[in-house]
Amino acid sequence: MSATTKDHHVHLAMTPSVRAVPRWRRWLVVALMAAAVAAFASAFFFEWWHFTLYAPQYPHGLKMGISLTGVSGDVAEIDELNHYIGMAKLEGVAPIERHYAAYGIGGLAVVIFAMTLAMGRRTGWLIVVPAVAFPLTFTADAFYWLRLSGHALDKHAPIHLAPFTPQMFGNGEIGQFLTFAAPSSGFWIACFGASLVVVATFIRQRSVCAQCSQRGSCGSVCKSAFIGNELT
Amino acid sequence: MRSLIIRCLLAGTVGVLACSNSAEEKFKQQQAGTLNASTSVKDLMKARNLSEADVEAALKTYTPTGKKDEYLLFASGGQSGQILVIGVPSMRLLKVIAVFTPEPWQGYGYGDESDKIVQSSTQMGHKLTWADVHHPALSETKGDYDGDYLFTNDKANGRIAVIDLKDFATKQIVVDPILMSNHGATFVTPNTDYVIEGSQYPAPLGREYEPLSTYKEKYRGLVMFWKFDRQKGRIDPDKSFGLELPPYTQDLADAGKLDSDGWAFVNSLNTEMATGGTLDGKPPIESGASQNDMDYMHIINWRKAEQLVAQGKAMTIAGMKVLPMSVTGPEGVLTLVGESKSPHGCDVTPDGKEIVVSGKLDTHATVYEFSKIKDLIAKGQFEGKDPYGLPILKFADTIRGQVELGLGPLHTQFDGKGNAYTSLFIESKVAKWSVKDLKLSEKISVHYNIGHLVAAEGDTVSPDGKYVVAMNKMSIDRFSNVGPLYPQNFQLIDVNGEKMRLLADMPIGIGEPHYAQMIKADKLKPLKVFTPGFNPYTGMKDPNAVEGGKERIDRHGNVVDVYMSAVRSHFTPDQIEVDQGDTVNLHITSVEQAEDQTHGFTVDMYNINLSLEPGKSENVSFKADVPGVFPFYCTEFCSALHLEMTGYLLVRPKK
Repeated sequence: MSATTKDHHVHLAMTPSVRAVPRWRRWLVVALMAAAVAAFASAFFFEWWHFTLYAPQYPHGLKMGISLTGVSGDVAEIDELNHYIGMAKLEGVAPIERHYAAYGIGGLAVVIFAMTLAMGRRTGWLIVVPAVAFPLTFTADAFYWLRLSGHALDKHAPIHLAPFTPQMFGNGEIGQFLTFAAPSSGFWIACFGASLVVVATFIRQRSVCAQCSQRGSCGSVCKSAFIGNELT
Repeated sequence: MRSLIIRCLLAGTVGVLACSNSAEEKFKQQQAGTLNASTSVKDLMKARNLSEADVEAALKTYTPTGKKDEYLLFASGGQSGQILVIGVPSMRLLKVIAVFTPEPWQGYGYGDESDKIVQSSTQMGHKLTWADVHHPALSETKGDYDGDYLFTNDKANGRIAVIDLKDFATKQIVVDPILMSNHGATFVTPNTDYVIEGSQYPAPLGREYEPLSTYKEKYRGLVMFWKFDRQKGRIDPDKSFGLELPPYTQDLADAGKLDSDGWAFVNSLNTEMATGGTLDGKPPIESGASQNDMDYMHIINWRKAEQLVAQGKAMTIAGMKVLPMSVTGPEGVLTLVGESKSPHGCDVTPDGKEIVVSGKLDTHATVYEFSKIKDLIAKGQFEGKDPYGLPILKFADTIRGQVELGLGPLHTQFDGKGNAYTSLFIESKVAKWSVKDLKLSEKISVHYNIGHLVAAEGDTVSPDGKYVVAMNKMSIDRFSNVGPLYPQNFQLIDVNGEKMRLLADMPIGIGEPHYAQMIKADKLKPLKVFTPGFNPYTGMKDPNAVEGGKERIDRHGNVVDVYMSAVRSHFTPDQIEVDQGDTVNLHITSVEQAEDQTHGFTVDMYNINLSLEPGKSENVSFKADVPGVFPFYCTEFCSALHLEMTGYLLVRPKK
């Protein structure tokens, strides 16, 4: 191994076009991926989206937060109001997603690391897909459930309302309520995690794989498990 | 790469900015008042014939919507049997606390537990449906109001009530089985160890019959020291004790504080022991009781009395421990000193060093020095003894001086600047005077016949002063005529400045209030909603409380238990079928948790009416003795579907 290290210096000095990639770059990529995974993991414990409903009877607003595992805030009161229009209880929303959220985060971490180590030069860009997809999937899923809640209204409810989708982003109005909804810290932390993965992947592709001695022959899979020895 | 990061950050920022909460802005605009000054103040003054002083008074008291009062006044509701809660300086009535009298809105006296509180005070076989509430007292810690509890008395029937200020609900009524009426109640010792209750009209202790001819031998006064268990929030009659007093018609009382802690002071007004007999040609009691130039203030060392009780020196009357005068006199626990005739106030100064007493038929307030009193008792230097062997101190040796205030001085309170405020009943004035200099500084007219007065925290170790409320017995020409029973008149007086200023009138149309106590509003920390299933009258989670989804009807023989929930806008169950003669136990829980979302519950014709505040659990039991169809419904306009919040009790006729 010591011989290889010596060679490596020699390569650097003598033939820059085929030089070995400095090891610290590889570890930087791994460190950035680890930071991204840590961000995703911590986002698990934060609220991802919040809603506030204003009406004269609620001068401080009714607040509801959504996290990956459940809903919080004035849930009982919002449920109480929703029963008038026949909307299902919030507790019953997205049961599968909430149950598997922790596995989802864990799986995401494993996938990101596995892809970082395994992907070759051509496929490396795919690492961004699960990272970016996670917050996007959350948003899409939340929208799906919001839409479903507003469209699957109990026909026997005291108040009959045309199906609607509650405003998920920004300001809205429903009945006597002025509403506001926006992403919360958990969502932003996840976005930060996703951007770390994007940045790390960028470095991986441009500054590691593109300069790797195996770049011509690695194909879809990195033969040296990314942080392993470069084959010469 | 750098450009990509920057692009990401920019996109994020734009996202956040685009997402600003304009719903909140719009909501606030909708909620804001829309008062615009369209007319000049001068024009308004002219149109309404208001002086600049009127406008100043208005500015000092006007409380715009949403703004809250600085102080709360807990005032006696007089014959209504209730307590009034009034905001100061707005003088708005905030609540009537149900105490001794059933109160429908709060469902007080209509549910099993609250009815038990009211009925626990059935006296001598009579169901009492009223009370004569006189003197509320806030609980104290180190001589200062702590905002935890309120006590008050029923003069007519010798009762004391405990109100928890966590939910403003009456928790306990205790009855003294020895005395008939009280007046020196309620006053608390500086840490609320005891609630003092002095009797008013002498009678044989234990409520026995004795002819009036034996008045001097058999009739007695009494002062009770009710032990308050702060942990439980209840009076503990077993740890309470009384002191036998001469039949002198004891009046108001006060507890010593700081230097005089451990002592109590009780006035009296008929040391002549007159009993009337007008048909026999004898003078009426009012004359007979006003012959002596002086009556007696009773000086009581309650700390020592407590020890004597512990040593077993008390006798037992109707189950209560009472120290006889034969013990308290010689032990220096009960001592008398002369006081101006027909006294009403007996008020310890904030530093606890002095006691101010005024006699209605004397123009002075007398200031006693407690250190002198204590020394004389310790040295056993007495002027003589009364007919019951009680030692009497020499008046002149106990006082620091007197100050001439005017006609009919009654009751004194204090501010934080060394001033005292004394009500002058006959003159219809409030007198402000310097305690240190014994000098009258000013008088202000009130309308009319002032009884008690109250200053902000004016009987504590650290009075605020600021406001004085004059509690006037008459209003004569102050308000629109509403028939021959005129409202009483509370008048708010500003005592912040050099000169007192009358600010506002508040008519009281529910009873004759006597005394009140004024506490800084931020000392109170009441609940906004009950924890789910809480029964305020038992002070714990109700064992019959039901959660949403677990409602049911259980039948055991001819007893039907209904576990019901109430939430906007339905009761569950909403159909109850029973047979005539069944005992029906309704256990109703409001499963609401939203602030101010109250429901009511009534069953037509069965005299059932409950208030179901958020989280509250109540029980009501009744015999379904009359067959028929009885709608039940929510009595609060709880929601848009309030009228639909209803159901049926069907009582099937006996076959």
